[in-house]
Amino acid sequence: MNTPRLRLICALVLGLIFVLGLFAGTVSPYPYAKQFREHPNVAPSSTHLLGTDSLGRDLFARVIYGTRVSLLLAPAAALLSTLLAGILGGFAGLLGGWCEKIILAATDLSMALPLLFVLLALRALLPLDISPILSVIATFALLGLLGWPSSLRVVWAATKNLRNSDFLLLARATGCSRRRMIVRHLLPNLRPVLFAQFWISIPVFVLTEATLSMLGLGVIEPLPSWGNLLRGLEDISAVSANPWRLTPLVLLILVVICFQFILPAQEETA
Amino acid sequence: MVGRLLMLAAVCLLGGLLSASLVRFSPGYGVDERELDPRLSQASVEAIRNSHRLNSGLLSYYGHYLSGAVHGDLGSSLWLQRPISALLKERFPVTAKSVLIGVSLAWFVALTLSLAGVFLRGFYFDISTTLISGVFIALPAAVVAIFSVYLRAPVSVAIAVVTFPKLFRYLRNLLNHAYAQPYIMAARARGISRAKILFRHILPLASPTLFALMGVSLAVAFGAAIPIEALCDSPGVGQLAWQAALNRDLPLIMNLTLLVTLITVAANMFANAAHERAM
Amino acid sequence: MPSPLKSLTLAILLAFALPVRAQTGGELHLCLHGEPKTFNPVLVDDEASENVRYLTGGVLIRLNRQTQELEPALATSWKVSRDRRTITFHLRKGVHFSDGTPFSSEDVAYTMRLLMDPVTHSSTGDAFRSGEGTVQVQTPSPDVAAIAFPAPVAGLERLFDQVAILSAHSPKKEMAVLGPFYVADYKAGSYVLLQKNPNYWKHDAQGHALPYIDSVRLDIQRNRDIELLRFRRGELQLINRLDAEQFERLQHENPAVARNAGTGLDAEEMWFNQSPVAPLPDYKKAWFAAKEFRKAISMAINRADLCRMVYAGFAKPASGPVSPSNHFWFNAALEDPKYDPQGALRLLAQAGFRLENDTLKDRTGKPVEFTVVTNSGNASREKLATMIQQDLSQVGIKVNVVTLDFPSLIERITRTFDYDACILGLVNTDLDPNSQMTVWLSSGENHQWNPSQKSPATAWEAEIDKLMREQATAPTEKERKAKFDRVQQIAAEQQPFIYLINKDVLVAVSPGVVGAAPVVLEPWGFWNADTLRLGPAPELGVQK
Repeated sequence: MNTPRLRLICALVLGLIFVLGLFAGTVSPYPYAKQFREHPNVAPSSTHLLGTDSLGRDLFARVIYGTRVSLLLAPAAALLSTLLAGILGGFAGLLGGWCEKIILAATDLSMALPLLFVLLALRALLPLDISPILSVIATFALLGLLGWPSSLRVVWAATKNLRNSDFLLLARATGCSRRRMIVRHLLPNLRPVLFAQFWISIPVFVLTEATLSMLGLGVIEPLPSWGNLLRGLEDISAVSANPWRLTPLVLLILVVICFQFILPAQEETA
Repeated sequence: MVGRLLMLAAVCLLGGLLSASLVRFSPGYGVDERELDPRLSQASVEAIRNSHRLNSGLLSYYGHYLSGAVHGDLGSSLWLQRPISALLKERFPVTAKSVLIGVSLAWFVALTLSLAGVFLRGFYFDISTTLISGVFIALPAAVVAIFSVYLRAPVSVAIAVVTFPKLFRYLRNLLNHAYAQPYIMAARARGISRAKILFRHILPLASPTLFALMGVSLAVAFGAAIPIEALCDSPGVGQLAWQAALNRDLPLIMNLTLLVTLITVAANMFANAAHERAM
Repeated sequence: MPSPLKSLTLAILLAFALPVRAQTGGELHLCLHGEPKTFNPVLVDDEASENVRYLTGGVLIRLNRQTQELEPALATSWKVSRDRRTITFHLRKGVHFSDGTPFSSEDVAYTMRLLMDPVTHSSTGDAFRSGEGTVQVQTPSPDVAAIAFPAPVAGLERLFDQVAILSAHSPKKEMAVLGPFYVADYKAGSYVLLQKNPNYWKHDAQGHALPYIDSVRLDIQRNRDIELLRFRRGELQLINRLDAEQFERLQHENPAVARNAGTGLDAEEMWFNQSPVAPLPDYKKAWFAAKEFRKAISMAINRADLCRMVYAGFAKPASGPVSPSNHFWFNAALEDPKYDPQGALRLLAQAGFRLENDTLKDRTGKPVEFTVVTNSGNASREKLATMIQQDLSQVGIKVNVVTLDFPSLIERITRTFDYDACILGLVNTDLDPNSQMTVWLSSGENHQWNPSQKSPATAWEAEIDKLMREQATAPTEKERKAKFDRVQQIAAEQQPFIYLINKDVLVAVSPGVVGAAPVVLEPWGFWNADTLRLGPAPELGVQK
């Protein structure tokens, strides 16, 4: 169903958005923080492609810069969490026994602990005088460090399956050393699973950052991110008056859908 | 079985202790916004500060709490000034109802759509269902909550919307995978009816994973309940958890973590057991 | 008259008669923005509980929210002794609590005893604690009560507006009330249902028993957007304190519904951390300690823009701690705050700062940069901070804005003092500045820029201490005002608090509510709940 043509289109769309975000400085006509105080809340026009927000800041510029924050940092966080899940899940699946039990229990525990609270607390611990960009990086790093539980079960299941598979049994029977087995046989087979988890996590982190920002704990002003921009949606009647404010949401949906179409379907099963 | 239960108990206890230490050592613990009220005298402010202080170390506090919990006394919320057992008794049914209805709704729709997808096998049907589920996955829980308020939908619908997309995708992949098995194809080639194949072969094959999914979807739904209830002002456990976090209410957060840990670990354990039994 | 005309006339007369009769009864439906923590009026501290107390509590003296004058309520008359330590009340006769228990001076004595109990810690009780010693209440007869305080209390009569009288004998304890309503049902997290008190002492001019409405339903709703949605659908009939943006939109759609009561008493303020124990580098402490720095910052902030953009024009620039709506205490002699970035730069130059390549540098060449903290979840305050960030960048100062959740914020400003500057709102529920004692006294806990000093750190703080103590014991209100005017003058010269704006009080009232007259004092929209009526309304408003 995910035909190659569809995947190509999605990859192109994603790539385009990614590039726009990367070269935000050249693409956007204004800096994201500049307040045009004479023109707050204006509709889209030739000077302001998507209009301005309540403080008079150009929305198009903020969307572009927001794309840079969300699309560049979410993959980094996803990478971190997938690596952690890979290591821990690998150990759990391979070694079994008590190690497995402990790691699984720790996973369940981490999922039960109030994640929002941890983020709240950790964020309040950050020193006050770091720049907004550093604080964003710190937020995403925290998300990455705390995001491994959801990927871990998948990796663990996959590793267990692989451990009990025939070809590994054969390899051991022929006297293959443990280290060689892991490096030469296990890891290459785990790669698709890990890659799938990495790919799935990216939109999850984008969304988590969005939810955090909507609850007021995300990126610091005046730096824009998609979550930051989505806060404007809280007032629904304002949105119906200014429908262009939905642009970040549309962009978010588009990106997440593209991510899903690109991924080969069969590797998603948990 | 006994080992499993012991493990469950140990994990829960650890969870409670961890959350208690998390709150105790987090910034902003022990302050009360009433301290900023200029009408209060110094003595009153001191009294408020003292009421938040843990008079003993954390471990003895935890031990004290546990001995009380065995008798049904779960302590008292600092923020709401009411016994926690009463709070939970009031609010848990609300959340349980929304979560159960939401998850059942999500399962119903996901099962229907994925089975229809398997039977119909149309390209456009597949694309449109993927698009719909894709859109729903892309909506942050907060946005779903806002839309559900605007459309006057109950909290359970919001929870269903959040749980449905992932569930649907897993189910669809699972069913496709199952239907692609050689012996199923052989059965179809021999002309066995679709319904028979479904109930006699597919469901038994897929049931362990289905049980696992049930556990995961419950956990996901509970997790989503927190921002949704907080934004929709629904008087359930989720809103309680959110406000407790904002107010650094140690006893309440500890109790809620214990509850959630219990549910999560139990759900996963049940899923694992079903998986193993089916294998 | 021919017959059809007669019936027509009759119909018209009936049509006019019917609305008049339909105006008693019904349920007023509005929202509380938090969970009421207690129904015991002596322990009330938070806004939601105060709202419930206002509707259920009977008080001796009522402050008329509209005229800002004191009116007799349960006390028909009162007299304050010359040394302002004793107040004698003559109580209304024939009054009963909501459950029938008779009201007498014993109840007043019981309430005061509870309130002044050292174990009780509430803002209501603390307001009366002017000195060491116990409060004596004498009840020579069932309708005379004399309360003697150990030391003179400033603004004594006005404080009794907050004291709801409890019954000494009723089996229902604090649930037996003297106000227009009593708490009939409470579902935690959901709503509080108040029913009409059949024994309410007040009657209207025609002698009809008040209140006119049968019940008040207070839903517990934190989310303001949902509240507005429900109001639009007709589920709610009153919203207290709308956001400026919501109000503006409501005004466009339905002007009759959106009521601006005028400039409120609250102010948004910004202050710099001047505490000597703050973990800040010395050069920063030197900046914040310089009066010219603070005044220059105040001059560099464009308050008109703040009012226009953050509050859609529904706010006024603030020059001092007292809002112009506080008729008696406002110091009209204070200058309006000016927006003058060039003047700010000149002032900064006097303190040794100079502008180099669009960056302000201090004497030693360090670029001026600091962080402003405020609480997350308050969109207006975040916008204020962002706009101030831009304003100050015009004078070469780089400002970082950090939003923290409230407990972390409070910890930083009251315990660790690990912050540069803070923007918060000053909530004034009381007209009398005596309730702000702990803010102005240098030894006070709420002396935010440098709290709990052992002895005043600067000469001007010492002078404020002296003036505040004098105003607390001054014999006449006029003298008190003169002293506090001087305090405001000093504050304007030294700018320990940089006052930003005073918000307007914006209330939404459904056309089905007759007689609503929102005011700038708490509880804003329903201060006259006992005289409100519910009539039929076109789309907005629910009639039961």
